Amino acid sequence: MYLILLSIFIPILMGLYLLVRKEYASRGRLLATTCAGLVLTGALAVASFTAAYGSSFTLFYLTKSLPIAFAVDEMSVLFSCLTVIVLLCAGLFSFEYMKHETKEKRYYGFYLIVFGVLNALCFAGNLVTFYLFFEMLTLTSMPLVLHNGSHEAIMASLKYLFFSMCGAYMALFGVFVVSHNSAVLTFSTGGILHAAAGSPSAGLLLAAAFAMLVGFGVKAGMFPLHAWLPTAHPVAPAPASAVLSAVIVKAGILAVVRTVYYIFGADFLRGTWVQTAWLILTLITVFMGSMLAYREPVLKKRLAYSTVSQLSYILFGLAVMGAEAVTGSLLHVLAHGLIKTALFLCAGAIIFTTGRTRVDELRGIGKEMPFTMWCYTIVSLGLIGIPPTGGFVSKWHLAIGSLQSAIPVFRWLGPVILLVSALLTAGYLLPLTIQGFLPGADYDYEHLKKREPSPLMTIPIAVLTILSVLIGLFPAQLTDWLTRLAARIL
Amino acid sequence: MDFVRNFPCISIMLCLFAGIISSGLRGKAAMLVNAALLVTNTVLSACTLAYTLAAGESFVYVMGQFPAPWGNEIRAGVLESLMALFFCIIMLLSLFGGRHKLIEGVEEGKLYLYYVLMDLLLSSLLALVYTNDMFTAYVFVEINTISACGLIMIRQNGRTIEAAVRYMIMSLLGSGMLLLGLCMLYDLTGHLLMSNIKESVAQIVAEGQYTIPLIISIVLMSVGLCIKSALFPFHAWLPDAYGYSTVSSAAVLSSLVSKGYIFLLIKIIYRVIGFEIYRDSRIIDILFVFGLMGMIFGSLSAIRENDIRRMIAFSSVAQIGYIYMGFGMGTEAGMTASVFHILSHAATKSLLFIAAVGLTDVSGRNRQFIELTGAGYRNKWAGAAFTVGSLAMVGVPMFSGFISKLLFSQAAVQNNTKMLPALIVLGISTILNAIYFMKTVIRIYTPVEDTPYPSMTFRNMPLYAVVLVAFIILNVTLGVSSQPVVDMIRQGLAMFA
Amino acid sequence: MGTNLFVNYGEAVAMILFGIGFGNLLLQPNLIKKIIGLNIMDTAIYLFLAEKGYIKGRVAPIVANGVQSMEAYINPIPSGLVLTGIVVSVSVSALMLALTIRLYRRYHTLDLDEISKQLRKEGL
Repeated sequence: MYLILLSIFIPILMGLYLLVRKEYASRGRLLATTCAGLVLTGALAVASFTAAYGSSFTLFYLTKSLPIAFAVDEMSVLFSCLTVIVLLCAGLFSFEYMKHETKEKRYYGFYLIVFGVLNALCFAGNLVTFYLFFEMLTLTSMPLVLHNGSHEAIMASLKYLFFSMCGAYMALFGVFVVSHNSAVLTFSTGGILHAAAGSPSAGLLLAAAFAMLVGFGVKAGMFPLHAWLPTAHPVAPAPASAVLSAVIVKAGILAVVRTVYYIFGADFLRGTWVQTAWLILTLITVFMGSMLAYREPVLKKRLAYSTVSQLSYILFGLAVMGAEAVTGSLLHVLAHGLIKTALFLCAGAIIFTTGRTRVDELRGIGKEMPFTMWCYTIVSLGLIGIPPTGGFVSKWHLAIGSLQSAIPVFRWLGPVILLVSALLTAGYLLPLTIQGFLPGADYDYEHLKKREPSPLMTIPIAVLTILSVLIGLFPAQLTDWLTRLAARIL
Repeated sequence: MDFVRNFPCISIMLCLFAGIISSGLRGKAAMLVNAALLVTNTVLSACTLAYTLAAGESFVYVMGQFPAPWGNEIRAGVLESLMALFFCIIMLLSLFGGRHKLIEGVEEGKLYLYYVLMDLLLSSLLALVYTNDMFTAYVFVEINTISACGLIMIRQNGRTIEAAVRYMIMSLLGSGMLLLGLCMLYDLTGHLLMSNIKESVAQIVAEGQYTIPLIISIVLMSVGLCIKSALFPFHAWLPDAYGYSTVSSAAVLSSLVSKGYIFLLIKIIYRVIGFEIYRDSRIIDILFVFGLMGMIFGSLSAIRENDIRRMIAFSSVAQIGYIYMGFGMGTEAGMTASVFHILSHAATKSLLFIAAVGLTDVSGRNRQFIELTGAGYRNKWAGAAFTVGSLAMVGVPMFSGFISKLLFSQAAVQNNTKMLPALIVLGISTILNAIYFMKTVIRIYTPVEDTPYPSMTFRNMPLYAVVLVAFIILNVTLGVSSQPVVDMIRQGLAMFA
Repeated sequence: MGTNLFVNYGEAVAMILFGIGFGNLLLQPNLIKKIIGLNIMDTAIYLFLAEKGYIKGRVAPIVANGVQSMEAYINPIPSGLVLTGIVVSVSVSALMLALTIRLYRRYHTLDLDEISKQLRKEGL
């Protein structure tokens, strides 16, 4: 119990401390403090889901019917693992990257707070606690978006806030309706609304479920409220974009998982109009995200659009509500998290060393930064879904799961769109590799100089790349575990 | 223990005496008298609250020797004493928080007058809260208006006098309607004491007599109080009055004066007309609609505003809309939510006003947003407090505003016909709130290089910082452990009926 | 309906006066006329109260000639209310007039809209 609380509040308090204290005399001490905070939090998070696995407790009561409670289950473990890996890697990367940005203290302060809030989301034991930290996540991650303080960044963060508030409020509406129909809001596998299934309020509950899906889906960039994501993610500093794009959006996914499988229960929603509408929205998002990414010239923005599309792969799998598809989704949560972090860190490394942001400016980049570009290429292949990388396994399960399901039309339409989108993914990720390594005959080899970034940047990228490949090479155990998990929550 | 029954009367009398004594004192001494008065009243109200909670029922205190149908009475239950306690605390904090501005803004020889007015205002607020007599309520409404007008124009420039005149005109229209309404009610029932009127009204309704005069009288009283508490279409006087007066006045006006009228309306609904009769008249639908409109238009005006004080003032219009929306639900839950929102808004709005003045002070007295850039770094206390206030206004969990939002939504879910409009407008208004408050928070935390303005630290004004911290604690307490307060409100409303 | 109006002509007149006063207070741009409107409005209410308290054929409740029967006297409470109301309205009028003098000295006009215009010009 204490471990969980510590893993939440230590980073938050450290972050607050960093925010309010005076400027450090040397950069080294700031980094040392941050580093200590990150490692400590990571260790605490890991310790809490290993030592406190299966436990749950109530911290206090917000009102009589609204307890703030925490619990650790398999879903917590999955998301917490991802959070820890990504935040540690991106944090390490920031130590180098943030050299060319100002106001580092504020950045690390909020970075730590976000870490704490993400832990809280992973370990939240009921809907109210989850909602509470969900709102906090929006507010504490906003400073990461507006970090450089330019007009563009402020407008982007306001857009982020606006969409998130819209979403959170829609979700809150759902929470109210659910709490009106159920005495408790504790997450439990199979849902808590069995009694309400045939009752007259079922129609209202379905509407509430849809509102919650769309509302929480805002964080996960689901159509129609996805527009903030490509604006907000690229303006943040690269490691922050990585965190935003890889983990913070996953909070939206976690929210959807918790809502659908732990509150409503798959049986409640299966075969209703909500499922159909949800499937349509995800497929639109998958296609549209890839299409927009394909047409986008700025690298980081392209990656952000790619996030929109990839997240809806996950949501699609969840919407199918079959064991195989859910397994694929959960695997893709992990795979996409690692890959997208690596991609953003690569983009950050490129920006840091060359200062160039547009894809067409990056001709010959592979000759300048071969290591970074190799990693980029490997993880790109993963995102496209070419074996033997992580993305392949998850997409395989998604496609199989969709074909196995009995949903008319979508059972074959889904895989088709996923395939088309995979082609588009190749279309928007690989040109950088091709131009980077094969700049053409007219490329000026004379002035070529190797300028690989420092190890602080390359190591995180390498670690993430290796992990994403490992998932693809040895998926058996992980998949088994996820299949069991999927079977249990269905 | 029964001695506690005298406390409500004593606290009102103390205010009047303090006012009289202060009028012969110098500014500093008057301030001390006022502070002592507020602390004493806080303690007295707390005792009354504890007493009524322990007794589980309200009590009536007969003024003079005249028994029920003729005499004048004071009535104290859980809700009344809770309100009184809250009013005292907020007034104390607001006065201390704005003290430095007061000493700057008011002419040297006139400072004592400010505290005389404050004493009077408190007496009228407490009387409004405690009284059981309609005509007494009217008289104290007027006293309230006069002292509030004085508070607006104590800092003399053209703006404040004009604002005061506009405030007076609207208030007089409101109190005229209130007076006419209660005269008609007196005419119908032959009583002035609330409990007696209620019995007669119930009888009249049961017999089906005088339906139209009764409705007209209810309408007159409700509209009168709506005008005075600045419900949406009647809010034109508000931004100037709150925006240009000295900061303590703005805080007190927005968080207490308008709330005093709203509380009187609650008393009229429960104790004079009767909740069921009031609900079955169509008036609550009108209140509901105007509340909703206020929520949206107030926020829209606030977004357009380029002056931080006026922005906060417009936000009050929206928040008062919330309260009337709660009335308009016509359910117990809606009323509970409204009463809670009275408390939470009072705590938040005064915090925002006090914090805003700290921010403008470190920005060369400029209130335009562009000048406020980075003010949160120059005055860390005010910045943090403003952020907390904004989060509470937006309704982020852990702050008081969230609980209001929660209670409103729970009330809305229970009412089938009004659920959808209420929830939709609540959502829109939340988002609009988020836009302008977060815009401000981002603005004050956007760093600037080489600012011409000095910073302010704890050492410059310890009192100010302490007040802000107290406000923050109040807000978070309301947000985190709201259950006891909500229970008290429920109990208090039950005692009303 | 019509007969009622005729019988209670005092109340009807009071209501009309209230309307006139209310309209003046709300709509007149001139501050002095506003204050006059305020006084008309208040007086109308006192008229209404007095009219309600008066019962035809009875006298003021002062015991004279040893008549102690309640039937002989009018209801004294409305009269008391009127007195209280007059005190209130006097103080309010005084305050309004004082404010008006302040504004007039500063802006040399009694027109509230004109004053607002000048204020905007000052840019305060």
